[in-house]
Amino acid sequence: MQKDIQQSSVISLDHVFFRYEDGKKVLEDITFHLNKGDFMGIVGPNGSGKSTLMKLILGLNVPSKGEINLFGQPLQKFKEWNKIGYVAQQAAHGASGFPATVREVVSSGLVGKVGMFRRLTAEHRQQVADVIERVGLSAKINERISNLSGGQLQRVFIARALVSEPELLILDEPTVGVDQESIQQFYELLRSLKDETGMTMVIVSHDVSVMMEWVNKVACLQRRLHFHGTTEEYEHNQEEIFRSMYGDSVRLLTHNH
Amino acid sequence: MLADWWNYEFLRYTLFSGIIIGLIAPILGTFLIVRRLSMMADGLSHVTLSGVAFGMLISKKIAFFSVVNPLFFGMLFSVIGSLFIERLRKVYRAYQDLAIPIILSTGLGLFTVLVSIADGFNQDLYSYLFGSIVTVTFEDLLALLGVAVVVLGTMFLMYKELFAVSFDEEFARVSGVSRRTINLWFMVLVALTIAASMRIVGVLLISALITIPVAASLQIARSFKQAIIYAIVFAEISVLTGLYLAYMLNWASGGTIVLVAVIILLLVLGGKRLRAMLR
Repeated sequence: MQKDIQQSSVISLDHVFFRYEDGKKVLEDITFHLNKGDFMGIVGPNGSGKSTLMKLILGLNVPSKGEINLFGQPLQKFKEWNKIGYVAQQAAHGASGFPATVREVVSSGLVGKVGMFRRLTAEHRQQVADVIERVGLSAKINERISNLSGGQLQRVFIARALVSEPELLILDEPTVGVDQESIQQFYELLRSLKDETGMTMVIVSHDVSVMMEWVNKVACLQRRLHFHGTTEEYEHNQEEIFRSMYGDSVRLLTHNH
Repeated sequence: MLADWWNYEFLRYTLFSGIIIGLIAPILGTFLIVRRLSMMADGLSHVTLSGVAFGMLISKKIAFFSVVNPLFFGMLFSVIGSLFIERLRKVYRAYQDLAIPIILSTGLGLFTVLVSIADGFNQDLYSYLFGSIVTVTFEDLLALLGVAVVVLGTMFLMYKELFAVSFDEEFARVSGVSRRTINLWFMVLVALTIAASMRIVGVLLISALITIPVAASLQIARSFKQAIIYAIVFAEISVLTGLYLAYMLNWASGGTIVLVAVIILLLVLGGKRLRAMLR
């Protein structure tokens, strides 16, 4: 029985702790599971450990304690990295001056899937063109990325993550520096991808109000996991969650758009 | 005068080596520059220099080594230096460029000490420093050819890994690319290229040939592949024009090549400016 649950879960964290070498605690006792097809939003203030949590899941950081499973396998043994697509926080930031085209950047998303010493085939190149069309950048395919707007660049990075047809997509603050209209398009794209492929997604965002309209699961992080559950549960218990995260002194301010 | 290049063997070697350097130096240079490691070539060239001095010293003192080309010691030192830089870059994660001055000073320090131990060399050290068109031997050419085959082979087989790691190390890691292996191999290639190129452009100027043609190409390239191709074109023009002028005017070949490369860079920058103004 236990085994069945493990296998259907895409991500599972079991009492995971993370601290820096100097002893500073970043994450404490994080436990949650994510099933296939879930779309989870992770919220929390700056410095709450959101990016660290993503890096733990991606194997970029190693937990000080606890266990992480991906697709039912312990992270240490996990090798199928091409099942995971990743859009990093401010991925766009350092890369914008790099002399590469949209096509070149998106092609680099296939590097793990194609494998060492192999070259891209015509089929791979078609996949690249298709995914660029999917994110609506066909007209810019041979454009240098330095000529793109923030929103367009973000779509390039999403295309790069999608080109290997991952089963799990991890997005860390993907909408920072992107205009409102592009954010709307961005979530619409994610939803249609999810509907078509049944992809599991995790998104970290500080823009909670927009994100809530699209995700089905929420996790609230402030060093510990103060809440995780469905969006409905979150909305019912919002006040309580906020008190738990920020203490009694903070009143919940609701604002209407 | 052009026919001399074919009639004299040493000039032919020089010409071939020049063409090969003009091909591989800018390829590696493009990757170095986009990774903000353009000073790397400088650091490694000084280590190579100390290796050459070591090779000369040992062949002077021990008869057995007198048949070994000091170039191979240069290569050995350069490769060790490159591994050391990778190590230092890991130790000083927040100050990654610190590795280069450390290795540069070490190389130069070692070089001066070795020269003083040897009490001067009868071989022409000057040619290793600044390049010379009359000292290229068949052995030098073969060594360079060997390095070129390895560099081009790597580009053919590992281009996508090199691109991925250069563009976004973290993403490459998440994609399952062994970043460490790629970085290490790349550094070894840079080290070998520098060592093998030194006879012709000179240790002090090889970094110029690795960076200046790329600086020009980055101004006009519309893609990464184009950046590499333009860099090769500019480097080849610099090498061929530079060698010819150096021979005709009896100038130092390395310096002449670099000056031609700088002129190309200025022309590209000027041309770009002019185009912007005319628009």
